[in-house]
Amino acid sequence: MIKISNLSKSYSRGAVKAVDNLNLHVRPGEIFGFLGPNGAGKTTTIKMMVGLLNPDEGIIIINGFDNQKDPIDAKRSIGYVPDSPVIYDRLTGLEYLDFMANVYQVPPDIKMQRINHFLDMFELVDSANDLIKSYSHGMKQKIVLTGALIHNPALWIMDEPMVGLDPRSSHLLKELMREHCDKGNTVFFSTHILEVAERLCDRIGIIHKGKLIAIGDLDELRHGEHAATLENIFLELTEQ
Amino acid sequence: MKQFINLLKISLNVNFGISALRYRFTREKKRLWEPILIFLAIIIGGGSLVAFFTMVLYSVYAAGVFMNTPEIVITIGLLASQFVIFVFGIFYIISAFYFSNDVDILVPLPLKPYHILGTKFLIILINEYLVLLPMLIPAIIIYGVGTRPDIAYWFKSVFIMLLSPVIPLIIASVFVLVLMRLINVRKSKDLLMVIGGLLGLFLGVAINYFAQRMSNGNPDEFMQDLLTSRINIIDKLGEKLPHVLWGTYSLSKPGIEGLLYFALTIAVAAIAFIFLLWLGNRIFYKGLLSGQEVSRKKRNLSAEQINRKTQKTSNPVTALFWREWKLFLRTPIYMINGLAGMIMVPFLLLMPYFSGSGDMQELISMATDPQFITQATLVGLAIVLFTASINIVSCTSLSREGQTFWISKVIPISPKQQVTAKLLHGMAISGIGILFTIIIIAFVLQLSPVRLFTILILGILGSFLLNTLNLIIDVIRPKLVWNDPQEAVKQNLNGFFSILLTFVSLIIWGVLSALLFKIGIPEGWVYIILGLSAAILSVPSLAILYTLAESSYRKLEL
Repeated sequence: MIKISNLSKSYSRGAVKAVDNLNLHVRPGEIFGFLGPNGAGKTTTIKMMVGLLNPDEGIIIINGFDNQKDPIDAKRSIGYVPDSPVIYDRLTGLEYLDFMANVYQVPPDIKMQRINHFLDMFELVDSANDLIKSYSHGMKQKIVLTGALIHNPALWIMDEPMVGLDPRSSHLLKELMREHCDKGNTVFFSTHILEVAERLCDRIGIIHKGKLIAIGDLDELRHGEHAATLENIFLELTEQ
Repeated sequence: MKQFINLLKISLNVNFGISALRYRFTREKKRLWEPILIFLAIIIGGGSLVAFFTMVLYSVYAAGVFMNTPEIVITIGLLASQFVIFVFGIFYIISAFYFSNDVDILVPLPLKPYHILGTKFLIILINEYLVLLPMLIPAIIIYGVGTRPDIAYWFKSVFIMLLSPVIPLIIASVFVLVLMRLINVRKSKDLLMVIGGLLGLFLGVAINYFAQRMSNGNPDEFMQDLLTSRINIIDKLGEKLPHVLWGTYSLSKPGIEGLLYFALTIAVAAIAFIFLLWLGNRIFYKGLLSGQEVSRKKRNLSAEQINRKTQKTSNPVTALFWREWKLFLRTPIYMINGLAGMIMVPFLLLMPYFSGSGDMQELISMATDPQFITQATLVGLAIVLFTASINIVSCTSLSREGQTFWISKVIPISPKQQVTAKLLHGMAISGIGILFTIIIIAFVLQLSPVRLFTILILGILGSFLLNTLNLIIDVIRPKLVWNDPQEAVKQNLNGFFSILLTFVSLIIWGVLSALLFKIGIPEGWVYIILGLSAAILSVPSLAILYTLAESSYRKLEL
């Protein structure tokens, strides 16, 4: 579903290497957790995957499409949730969802059904007709999530999606992620909550100073040390 | 005081992007040609506007010398610049005081209200110098060179220039502070901003109206009165706006008298500023904090209602068009800036009509006179094109997206379709301007339906070209990083470039029509050639827009 080859990106004319020759393959049906300390290159990688940043080098294949050569087809396969929910403050929640559905050309009956479903699930029915500027951070996050999933994309790319969500919504999201992947789809998300990654992810990648320093399922990361928690592994790897 | 200076320093840094510029020049070292190009464009474009204004001022000075009141040039310079500052200052102040995003950061800090208010005021003041100095410096120089006053004149003039926007801005600030405190209705803050802005505009129109009345309908007679010193215009203005009079006298009166006026000007500005801070300390936070509360209707939507609102599916371009339209109408500063010119220009046109002067009858009979009807049509067309193109909608179209631009980057819609929606939105706004102005022209100039239709078609063709070119400006250099929506439209140089472009285009079309008439081309053909020139130029312009959009959308990183 995602194939990243030799991906690099630097800032300040090469002075700061944010992502350094990254190679990654995420398979269909997988929940992939992307971990790393602050400034490790997680968001930069994600932004390059969804087309917000241009790589200096390397190729990103999304659902079989090169996101540099066929950006529109690649984007159609993605539902993206950014790390902060900056959206159109002066649209109502419902207008935003309607806009996103139209932009992704979701047929009307499916659109109505999905909007109703998500608004109900995230308890947004009461506020759907209010301007987004009146929403709390968590409500904005839920609207962004809904907008990203409205076209039922095969690949979800989410940058810290649980931040700002209440425990109930966070739980629901995790269930949605599992269900989505059980249908053969893919979820790629970054997080700092190691317990979530530990319980939810099929495989985990740890990025540090722009380089992928570990990848695999929990057992592979443990290297036979069964008692090791993801926290121990993470701290050990990123302290080097 | 230390806190105040600290806050001022950081605000200056943020406002003028000093750290960002330093970073760009020292670390990124890319696109250095861009600021150089912008600087050149400002010098050339701004220079020609200043040159024009200087010529006007010089004739004022020449008339003043003739009447033995050469200082009138200073009065006019002060008056014109302060008028502009007051009218536009109202929007600026409402937006910077009450709608700026940094309020969330500043209010919890251990600062006094007057620290924040004072800083914001000074930032506005500094920004206004950019508008004011090009209008005032020519007046100071013309008078200085013409009358050869002593060295103290030049010394005093620097202070007078620096002080001159203070009074109008303080008046505007006090007006806004009181307005926001009195009408403390949370829900209507947006509405209030529109009302405040429109009040400023109407005040501008009203002043124009009285200026028309003051001339007694007959400029010749007025000049006669002036020349025979039956009216001392400076004293007359001084009755209404004493600080303009003091400013003028502090420069024009020699010796002690001048110095006294100079001291008076400084003292009044200082007292007014202290008063503003005192008032701000009392009422600024009250209005500000109530504006931070946002109300929600909390209406329970039934599934049926949701279905009704979402049942229509539109194609992506239509969806994008409605997004543009809604965001534009619901953001007061965008709406005011977009629609103000279109309301203002036709009103200014109507004003002499209602002031009932004899000139108007003369103008109308001229317009209907077959001898001048062509000129009337062309002038009508120029007004329509001007009104339709000063809305700064297209030239800030990407900029207005700001940090939400990420959505445009991730949706599977080609940049070509995205800018098409923006162009349609720009045209829709221009269309309102075109129709509105044509109705006014039909009323004032009483042109025949055929001529009005010609103006309509040429107006649409011309404004399509201008909108395309304006959109190109914003696609090349969008301003996506801003704190407050007004920065996207008012502190965006693209607006300046757009107005410049409109002027240049109008001049080119004007010269072209004059040439065509001169070589004996029949009137109908002149219109056809004008229309064709706009239509033909639109084709490559559109192609350039689409090509640039493809590369620019790809290159822009968030």
